[in-house]
Amino acid sequence: MHMIEVRGLRKTYPGGVEAVRSLDFDVEAGEVFGLLGPNGAGKSTTIGMLTTTVLPTAGSARLAGYDVARQPLQARGVSSVVFQEQVLDGSLSGRQNIELHARLWGIDPVIACRRTRELVSSLGIEELIDRKVESYSGGQRRRLEIARALVSAPQVLFLDEPTVGLDPRIRHELLDVIAGLRRREEVTILITTHYLDEAERLADRVAIMHAGELVALGPPSALLERIGSEILEFRTHGDPTAAVRALRERGAAGEDAFAVGARVTVPLHGRAASEALAVIDGERIGASELQVRPPNLDDVYIQLTGAPVAEAA
Amino acid sequence: MSATAIAQPIPLPRKRRARPASALLTLARRRALLTSRTPRQIAVPLIGPAMLALILAPALEKATGGLHSHIDYTSFVGVGAIGLVIPLSCVFAALSVIVDRHAGAQRELLAAPIPRAYLVLGNMLVALVLAALQAIVVVGLSALRGGIFHVSASGVAWFLAASLLFTVFMYALAETVASRVSKEEDFVGATPVLAILPFFFAGALFPIGVMPSVLTAIAKAMPLTHALALMRYGIVDPSGRGLHEIWGISNVTVEAWLSLAVVALFAAVLLVVSVRVFTRSTVR
Repeated sequence: MHMIEVRGLRKTYPGGVEAVRSLDFDVEAGEVFGLLGPNGAGKSTTIGMLTTTVLPTAGSARLAGYDVARQPLQARGVSSVVFQEQVLDGSLSGRQNIELHARLWGIDPVIACRRTRELVSSLGIEELIDRKVESYSGGQRRRLEIARALVSAPQVLFLDEPTVGLDPRIRHELLDVIAGLRRREEVTILITTHYLDEAERLADRVAIMHAGELVALGPPSALLERIGSEILEFRTHGDPTAAVRALRERGAAGEDAFAVGARVTVPLHGRAASEALAVIDGERIGASELQVRPPNLDDVYIQLTGAPVAEAA
Repeated sequence: MSATAIAQPIPLPRKRRARPASALLTLARRRALLTSRTPRQIAVPLIGPAMLALILAPALEKATGGLHSHIDYTSFVGVGAIGLVIPLSCVFAALSVIVDRHAGAQRELLAAPIPRAYLVLGNMLVALVLAALQAIVVVGLSALRGGIFHVSASGVAWFLAASLLFTVFMYALAETVASRVSKEEDFVGATPVLAILPFFFAGALFPIGVMPSVLTAIAKAMPLTHALALMRYGIVDPSGRGLHEIWGISNVTVEAWLSLAVVALFAAVLLVVSVRVFTRSTVR
């Protein structure tokens, strides 16, 4: 049994806005599954449907075998979610916020107390736990939300853009925390993000979403292999389409070379970069910021959608 | 601070849900904790009714000679003031629905494995307790100012039944409106219509029979009118004059049950409506 099963899931909001168009994917138990895409790609709507806070227009989804539409209470019982916006009672303490979650998920108070102690210690917030949440920093609130979500030992944990709005140092600390979760908890994690490093670092498989659809799905390494191990990238002062055409005609680029705005990307696939540089020089293609580098998921995203993840946001 | 080496997790049963009573009490406890941290929610609804009971009622009785009947006017208005404190208290309580929605805590509750109706009922439990306490305060203030009350077991039972059912109706109405509006300012703007306007037509300050017949007819259709008449029947006027003004039947006990049924019906209908509206408004 897959821990998360999604079949033909669709969401059209009133007014005809198609936020999600026919999603299909499965997530295995214990897997970390990443949904990568810019704002507006449909990631949060997808999480909303899986956590029963958004009503699907069509299709079905199951969590640990429970249909989210027909068995919503059971589906919610096996999952927890850390929302993109912080959802804490600021005037209550961290401990009170966690206790509330534990009681609503039916956890025995003695076990909940022990588990809370464990979690706040492992997440580094034990000194804050009895203070009011309104006194916490953004990163501390995020850790508290993760502790709260885990106190019920969910089978499925949803993390909706968990590091958005946090400064880089806190982001990286939190990524360490999330990476550590799978080592200690028997939990399946679905994480949505528009940060490439999060997807590459944390996810066993990444699904790239664009305009409500999955445009690619696979392990990060497999997605990157589409582009190869090296790319040549430059900015052109002239016509980027003409630059790509010239490179292809001269055999220095394949069909998968592409241009977005003034930026030209040439997957090398074993070709020497010097071949492309020779064409750029020979055809007098005005180029700057030339670099040869390994590809990242942004390059995969651009190739598939025509815009970088950040620009599309 | 990076993640440290982690101890083995304590195994937990996989399938569980909170028992209904436990879930409701948990939600009520949360609401009570949050309310206790905003004292104005407890104190502000009391100010106007307290002024009515302490100052206005005795002053009006002195100035006008009261109702010119066997009914003590100070206690008459003391009970009438409950017709203001309950709506104001419920409106303040329902405001928390909007605060929850904007502050985001509501989404966590919506993701919990509990029926969403419990979110309305849990808040309502606290509204009931708070309104009951505030009503007791108002009656107490009225008694301090010389109001005469006739207390019996059955009378207190009528009073409690009427006030609790009316609180259910009023909270459900306020929650329904709160679920429909997006901003706190819009909800506050509706407060006069919800909480204050009915007070002037429902016999809070004078018997409904002294109003023009059209207004008296309107008053008879309002649950507050029936609730106030029942409360007065319970602890102020065992003859049930207010009930008789509504129904005109010779048997006051029958009139009391009829009025109780009216308030109960309004409470039941609005409760169902409030749960449906809340559920629909929270799931997109």
